[in-house]
Amino acid sequence: MAALVRIGSVCRGPAVPSLLFRSAPLIRPLAARKKDQDYPYFCTAKIHATPSNYAAAGSKAASLHWTGERIVSIALLGLGPVAYFYPGPVMDYSLAAVLTLHGHWGLGQVVTDYVHGDAKIKLANTGLFLLSAVTFAGLCYFNYHDVGICKAVALLWSK
Amino acid sequence: MAGSLNKSSEVFVLSLFFYTRSLARQGLCSSRTQFSVFYRHAVPMGTSAQEEMNKFWAKNTRLNRPMSPHISIYRWSIPMAMSITHRGTGVALSGGISVFAVAALVLPGSFPHYLDLIHSLSFGPALITLSKFALSFPVAYHTFNGIRHLVWDAGKGLKIPEVYGSGYTVIALTLLTSLALTAL
Repeated sequence: MAALVRIGSVCRGPAVPSLLFRSAPLIRPLAARKKDQDYPYFCTAKIHATPSNYAAAGSKAASLHWTGERIVSIALLGLGPVAYFYPGPVMDYSLAAVLTLHGHWGLGQVVTDYVHGDAKIKLANTGLFLLSAVTFAGLCYFNYHDVGICKAVALLWSK
Repeated sequence: MAGSLNKSSEVFVLSLFFYTRSLARQGLCSSRTQFSVFYRHAVPMGTSAQEEMNKFWAKNTRLNRPMSPHISIYRWSIPMAMSITHRGTGVALSGGISVFAVAALVLPGSFPHYLDLIHSLSFGPALITLSKFALSFPVAYHTFNGIRHLVWDAGKGLKIPEVYGSGYTVIALTLLTSLALTAL
């Protein structure tokens, strides 16, 4: 920081306005020199260290959830045409399961985006879980006691 | 040399000076070099991202801060509209399936029974066609846009012209498919 002062003293000619030395970028480093000792955070980015720097390493739950979502989406894409060509109870229950899971996880993302606050998040997710459980139960009931999803779509479209 | 120094060169000299100092300082603190950014001291945070997010929202609520205008002022773009439509169709379809499932549990009659009931109401062909389109459109849109999302997840098609191009393709495919399904 001594060099800073030296430049300053060198520049003390009439051609250079003295306002230069009052501008913030010049003053601040000088002031921070002393602060540096007390607060080693000056000019610091609050960097999130990788989990390996923490005592408890991060879990892969979120990453695995993401991958699971994509796999279910691809499965659902495949189920569509298969259900069209091979309708039946296997397709009915597979569709019920995959549809409900895809919807549950999708609505879960909507909750994560728009609901804030620990209590509200918990409430919303509980409600969502109940909804998905009832949906799956209802679809399975329909598959068992009624015509089943594939047949239902076929009937609906024939009218 | 003294008289000819102007402000910009002085700032340049100072920033160069500062930069070399921070480099030298990094050489001393070997544990910090892994961060490889030019900060004097990089310190790992003690809180998790979840905690920080909660603190952010709690503070906003506590201070009763109004939300900055965002969707009311920002210019709508095709990708933006398609994104929220993807979410909208997803929520609507999911809701529809849930309503269907609850109805299956609650209503006494069978599915063909209720179909015949609706059939006996003799809706005009226009209304039937409209209903079929109203069902096909969200399914087709969400499916095709879903594929578009999966392509993005694979890391492809993320350049802006590609985003627009794939967007138009999805819209075209959706219209064609829903019309085809309606006509079935």
